[in-house]
Amino acid sequence: MRRWITASACLVWTTAAAAQVPGGPTGLEAVDYPWDNGTRIQLTWSLSPDDDTLLGYAVRRRLADDPQQTLIDILPPGTSAYTVPDLDPELAYLFAVTAIAQDNTESAPASTLAPVTPSVQAFDGTRLWFMVTLVLFSGAVVVFIRMARTGRDLKVRKIAGLEAVTEAVGRATEMGRSCLYVPGIQDMNDIQTIASMNVLSHVARTAAEYDAKLEVPTSKSLVMTAARETVETAFLSAGRPDAYNPDLIYYVTDEQFGFVAYAQGMMVREKPAACFYLGSFFAESLILAEMGNSIGAIQVAGTAQPAQLPFFVAACDYTLIGEEFFAASAYLSGEPDQMGSLKGQDVGKLIVAVGILAGVGGMTLAAVTGSDLIQSMVDYFTQRMLT
Amino acid sequence: MSRIDPDRVQVILATDCGSTTTKAILIQKIDGVFRQTHRGEAPTTVEEPFADVTMGVLNAVTETQELAGRRLIDADGRIIQPASGDEGCDIYISTSSAGGGLQMMVAGVIRQMTAESAKRAALGAGAIVMDVIAANDKRRPHEQIQRIRELRPDMILVSGGVDGGTTTHVVRLAELIAPAKPRPRFGSEYTLPIIYAGNADAAPLVADVITDGFDLTVVDNLRPVLERENLGPARDAIHDLFLEHVMAHAPGYDKLIQWTDAPIMPTPGAVGNILETIARERGINVVGVDIGGATTDVFSVFDGVFNRTVSANLGMSYSISNVCAEAGMDNILRWVHIPMDARELRNRVKNKMIRPTTIPQSLEALVFEQAVAREALRLAYLQHKEFATTLKGVQRQRTVGDTFSQESSGETIVDNMALNLLVASGGVLSHAPSMRQTAMLLIDAFEPEGFTTLAKDSIFMMPHLGVLAEVHPQASVEVFERDCLIHLGAVAAAAGSGKPGQACFRYQVRGDTLEASGEMRVGDMKLYPLGLGETARVAIQPERGFDFGAGPGRAVERDVEGGTVGLILDARGRPLQVEGGVEGWVRALELYPEGSVA
Repeated sequence: MRRWITASACLVWTTAAAAQVPGGPTGLEAVDYPWDNGTRIQLTWSLSPDDDTLLGYAVRRRLADDPQQTLIDILPPGTSAYTVPDLDPELAYLFAVTAIAQDNTESAPASTLAPVTPSVQAFDGTRLWFMVTLVLFSGAVVVFIRMARTGRDLKVRKIAGLEAVTEAVGRATEMGRSCLYVPGIQDMNDIQTIASMNVLSHVARTAAEYDAKLEVPTSKSLVMTAARETVETAFLSAGRPDAYNPDLIYYVTDEQFGFVAYAQGMMVREKPAACFYLGSFFAESLILAEMGNSIGAIQVAGTAQPAQLPFFVAACDYTLIGEEFFAASAYLSGEPDQMGSLKGQDVGKLIVAVGILAGVGGMTLAAVTGSDLIQSMVDYFTQRMLT
Repeated sequence: MSRIDPDRVQVILATDCGSTTTKAILIQKIDGVFRQTHRGEAPTTVEEPFADVTMGVLNAVTETQELAGRRLIDADGRIIQPASGDEGCDIYISTSSAGGGLQMMVAGVIRQMTAESAKRAALGAGAIVMDVIAANDKRRPHEQIQRIRELRPDMILVSGGVDGGTTTHVVRLAELIAPAKPRPRFGSEYTLPIIYAGNADAAPLVADVITDGFDLTVVDNLRPVLERENLGPARDAIHDLFLEHVMAHAPGYDKLIQWTDAPIMPTPGAVGNILETIARERGINVVGVDIGGATTDVFSVFDGVFNRTVSANLGMSYSISNVCAEAGMDNILRWVHIPMDARELRNRVKNKMIRPTTIPQSLEALVFEQAVAREALRLAYLQHKEFATTLKGVQRQRTVGDTFSQESSGETIVDNMALNLLVASGGVLSHAPSMRQTAMLLIDAFEPEGFTTLAKDSIFMMPHLGVLAEVHPQASVEVFERDCLIHLGAVAAAAGSGKPGQACFRYQVRGDTLEASGEMRVGDMKLYPLGLGETARVAIQPERGFDFGAGPGRAVERDVEGGTVGLILDARGRPLQVEGGVEGWVRALELYPEGSVA
C-alpha cells in the first residue's frame, strides 16, 4: 500500500513538473540579414513541440565576450523566425530562444553555437522603394531639363494670373494711374517673399516698357533693399534705367496693421489702377483686396497661405494659388533649366497623387471587403514602400 | 444728296468701283418686293489714260440699262433721277475699293487696349490697317517715326487713354506723327487727315502738337472707359474723311460723290454693314468671308458685336506663295485626294502668282487650288479669331467658385457652335464648278459646329447692299434674302473627337420631301438632297463626348433650310482630323465627279 502511494505521488509530481517546463525550440540558426546597413541578424528555429500551449518565445542576445544576456523581444506562439534589429556591425553576438509556458516557466534555450557579426552591405534593401522613388523624381527633373535644353517645347498650363500682369499694367498706363505692388509682410527669409521678388521683376519690367509708375511699399527694411535691386535691374534690362525711381520703393513699418493702414490710405488717395499682392499675407489679405476692388483696380494676388486664398480669389481678378506662385519664376523666364525642373516636379507630384489615391482606395476596399489579399497589399504599400 | 422718301422708291441703281472692275446692279420693286433684276460691269477707269472713275461707272450702267431696257443715263452722261416711267432711278449709291481702297495707320497707347480698339474701328470702317503704333510695340521712337514716314497712309487714327486717363502717352504719340510728316499717296496738295479719338483731356495738347500739314479731326473717345468701346464716332469720321479727302483726290470721284444719294463707302465697310444689318434683323450670328487674289477679309457678328479682319497676305493669286509658305505644303496636300507631283505643284503656285487671272484647266489643278483655298481660309479665320476678342484691361468680378477656373480676358468671341450663317464670296468660292465644292471648302476651313446654314454671295452684291442699308434698310434686306445669297444648304456637325469608326450620333430627318434616319460613325459624311425653299426637322442624338450645342451627349432637334447642295451631316468631329485622308469625304459628297472639269 505504501509503495502504491509513493508511486502515485511520484507520478503526480512528474506530471506537474512536465507541465511547468515546456519543450524548447531547436535548431536555432543566426545569419547576417542580407542587403542591410549592418544592424540586423536573421534568426530561424524549429517550433517547440508544445507550441500550441505556449505563451510565446523569448529571444535573447549577448555579446560573444560578455555572459550577460539581454531580452530582445517576446514573440507569439507559432513564430519561427525573427530579425534582430539595432545591432552594432563591429560586434559579435550570440543568441538564445526559449519557449515560455502560460505560467511563465521557460524551456531550455536553443542557442547559437558560434558568434555572428552583422555585416554592412553596399545597399540597404529596405530602402529599395525609396531609391525607386528618388530615381523617378529626380530622373524626371533631369530628363525634362535635358529635353528643354534640346529646344523641345515643354507645355506648361497657362497661368491666368501671370498672363494678366501685362493687362493690369496696361490698364494703369491707359488710366494714367500707378501700379501698387505689395510683397507680403514677411521678411526675406520667407520663401514666399523670395518668390515674390521674381514676380516683382516681371511687373517692373512691364511697367518700364509701358512707362507706368510702380510703387512698392514694404513692411521689412530688408525686403525694401531687395525690391529696389530687383526693380532697378528690371528697368535696366528693359532699357529704361532713367525711369527707375528708388523713392517709389520704400519701408513703411514692421507693424502688421500699421502697414495695412498706410497701404489702404495710399490706395484711397492715389487710386492705383493695378494692385499686386504677392507674398506671405495674413489677416490683411482681405482688407487690402477689398480696398483694391472698391477703387476699381485690376488685382493680381498670390500666396501659399491656404487660409488667405479664398479671400484673394473672391476679391481679386486673378490669384496665383500656392504652387503657381512658386512656378512663376520658371513660367515667366521660360529658361530651359527652370522649365525642366518645373515639369519634373510635376511628374513627382503626379506620382504622389497616384500613391495617395491608391492607398486610400486600397484601405477602403480592404475595410469594405475584408479581403486579406488587399489588406496585405496595403500593408506592403504602407510598411515597405512608404517606409 | 437729296432726301429720300423710302415709300416712294421704286428703282435703285448701285455701283461698286473695284480695282479692276466696276459692277452695277439694278434693283426694282416688283409686286411690292425689292428684287435685283439686272447687272452690268465694265473695266474701272481710275488709272491713266482715262483717270476718271465715272467713265467706268457709266459704262457699267450703260450695260445695265441695255439689259434692263430702261434708260438710266441722260444725253449729258448723267444718271437720271428720279425714276419716271421707263427711265431713271430713285436712288443711286456707290462703294469704292479702287486704288487700293482706304489705307490707314492707327496708333494707341497700349497695343492690346486702345490701339486694338482703334484698329477695330478702322477695319470696321473698311480700311486696310498698314501698321499699329503703340507705346508698348517694342520699337524705339526713331524706328516708329521711320515707319510712319515710310508708310504713306491715307489717314491716321490716333487713340489712347480713357477719358481722364493718361495724357503724356497720347501726346507722345502725337509727337511721333508730327515730325514724321508722312507723305500721302495723292500728291503734295493732299492734307493728311488725322482723327483723334482718345482721352478728351489730351485733345487740346494733341492739337498743339499736330498743326501744319495735317487736318486734325477730334471725335469722341473710342474707349471712354476700358470696359466699353465706342467705335461709332471714329468710324463715321473715317467715312466722312474718306469722302472729303481720299475720294476727293482720286480721279473722277468729285463727280461721283455729287451723283450719289448716300456717302460712298469703302467696299469692305459696306460688306460689314450689310452683315451687321442682317445679323441684327434676324437675331443671328454671322460669319462672312471674301477671299480675293491678294487678301482675305473675314467679317463676323457674334451677339451683335461686329469684327472684321483683313489677312493681307492670304489670297489665291498674288499671295498664293505666301499661303503655301505659311501653311506648309504638307498641310495643303492633306486636302488632296489624288497623287500629285510636288515639283509640278510648286511651278503651278508660281505660275498662278505671275498670271493671277488664270483659272484651273484640269481636275488636278482644281483640286490643288481648292486645297490652297482651304488653308488660306483656315489661316484667315484663325487670325480673325485672335482679333475678335473680349475687351482687355477690364476689371473682373469673381467668386470663390472661380478658384480653379480663372478665365482671362481677351478670349475670342468667335464661337463656331453659336454660328448660324456662314456666307462665302470671292472667286474661288463663288466660281467653283460645283456648289458642293463651295460648301465643302467652307466646312473644311471654318469647321462649323452644330447647325449652320451655308450660303454664297451670288454676284458679290453685298457691297451694294451694305451702302443701300444706310438709305433704305428694307430694300437691302429684301434683296439680300432673295437675290444676293444663294443658299447652299445646312450642315449639322458634331463637336468632339473619337476614334474613326466609333459611333458618333444617330439622326432622324423629317421633311416634306425628305425622310431619313440612321447612325453616323466618326469620320463619316453624308449628303441628303434638300432643295431651295424646302425645310426639314433634324433630330440628333449624339453619343457621349459629342456635342451639337445642347451639351455632350444631349439630344438636339432643329429646323434646317435646304439649298442647292442640301443637308450635310458631318461626323468627322472637331477639331477636324485630316491625317486619315480625304478620299472618303470626297466620295461621300461626290465632290469631283468624272468629267466635271474639262
